[in-house]
Amino acid sequence: MAQEFDKNISAARTSYASGNLQDARFAMEQMLRDIDIQIGKEVLKLLPAKVGALAMNEKEDNVTGTGGYVGLYVSRHYGTDAKRASIEIINNSPLITSLNAILSMPVIGGMMRDENQKIIRVQGYKSILNKNVNTETGKTNYELQIPMNNTLLTLKMDDTTEGEITTAANSIPLAKIVQLAQ
Amino acid sequence: MKTKYVLTTGLVLVLGVATEAQVLNRLKQRVENKAEQKAGEEIDKLFSGKNKNQSGQSGQGTNGPGGSNSGGNNPSNKGGGLISTPPDVNQNLIDAQAAYTKNSYGEARYAVQQAMLGVELEIGNKVLKSLPETVAGLNKEAKADQVTSTGWGWAGLMIKREYSTKDKEFRVIIANNSVWMAAVNTYLASGGYAQQTNGEQNWKQTKLKGYRAIIEYNERSGYKLSVPLGQSSLIVFEGVSFASETDMMKAAEVFNLDGIKKELGEQ
Repeated sequence: MAQEFDKNISAARTSYASGNLQDARFAMEQMLRDIDIQIGKEVLKLLPAKVGALAMNEKEDNVTGTGGYVGLYVSRHYGTDAKRASIEIINNSPLITSLNAILSMPVIGGMMRDENQKIIRVQGYKSILNKNVNTETGKTNYELQIPMNNTLLTLKMDDTTEGEITTAANSIPLAKIVQLAQ
Repeated sequence: MKTKYVLTTGLVLVLGVATEAQVLNRLKQRVENKAEQKAGEEIDKLFSGKNKNQSGQSGQGTNGPGGSNSGGNNPSNKGGGLISTPPDVNQNLIDAQAAYTKNSYGEARYAVQQAMLGVELEIGNKVLKSLPETVAGLNKEAKADQVTSTGWGWAGLMIKREYSTKDKEFRVIIANNSVWMAAVNTYLASGGYAQQTNGEQNWKQTKLKGYRAIIEYNERSGYKLSVPLGQSSLIVFEGVSFASETDMMKAAEVFNLDGIKKELGEQ
């Protein structure tokens, strides 16, 4: 990966020096993609091996870097069919700004609130907790969205309780992830 | 549900009252400021020996002259605005490499984004230089020339140029490398606009120098000609007070579309 980056940075330099701005820009887009993937890999290292009692499925680990538009996408899955959980991280995406705006407006946050949704704090970060009862299985699934600067972390857990998902969220080193991804 | 409506109505009322109150407050402050500004300046002179407005602080202010100030004796800002030097591409590439080697990826990304911003601004300026000085007898408004870039993300690169006289205006807006542009182009190029035979026809498909385009007409804003270029660029010509569609098309034909397309790196 480092080789790719070096190759692209030298392509960017050469193109820029020769006045070929388009190729320089293209090489830089590639560099952003490389960097995003590198950040994603580092983020994966920080994610817990277990969420609650559920072990991670390492083979399903996923990092996608789009070089700016959608940004960086990292996901890790836990558990088996009986009970699953997942952590998804989107970073550096313009979409996150709008989510942050919603969260920082208490009035709208308050109006949005219904019995299946509430705003909680996880390690100091304002987060949205969604409860979803599956009518077929009768199980309660939770989804927790934690926006942090330009990063959005989503933790999903099947058949769980508010207490369990909050504890699981607290085991994720949020501050370190933010530091890495910002 | 009922509660929600009540809440919404309440909110609108509260916001409405609040806005009105704010406007009144601002008006009041403006009046007070003007009176107090003079006194404030005198006090500043007395204590610092010089006028605060001329203290040599340049390049940081963002408020234009006459921007609202909330303090009692704060003089209105007359700063020179931000320094508009584009980011140094080479330096940012050096920074990016250094950060990447140190595994400081966030920093590396920031530096690359800055470098990209620098390159995009240069591309934009080159395109501006290549545009004609006059169009349909209208001279360019040098002050209105604008290149905007986000370095990454939705907006991409935006280039603007205006030509005008007192009652006639011609504007060119070129958008490049933005995410939504690809979608817009597919739509326009595929003839996605459905043409209707009845009613008023305010737009139609046309061709400008062989490029497929859409021309629209609006009583108030005049003509608008949109031409997709390549995969992710769009050039929009807007003409106010042009006598006819032919005049508008003639004005747009002055532009070297192939050249602009090449400058933007489109195929």
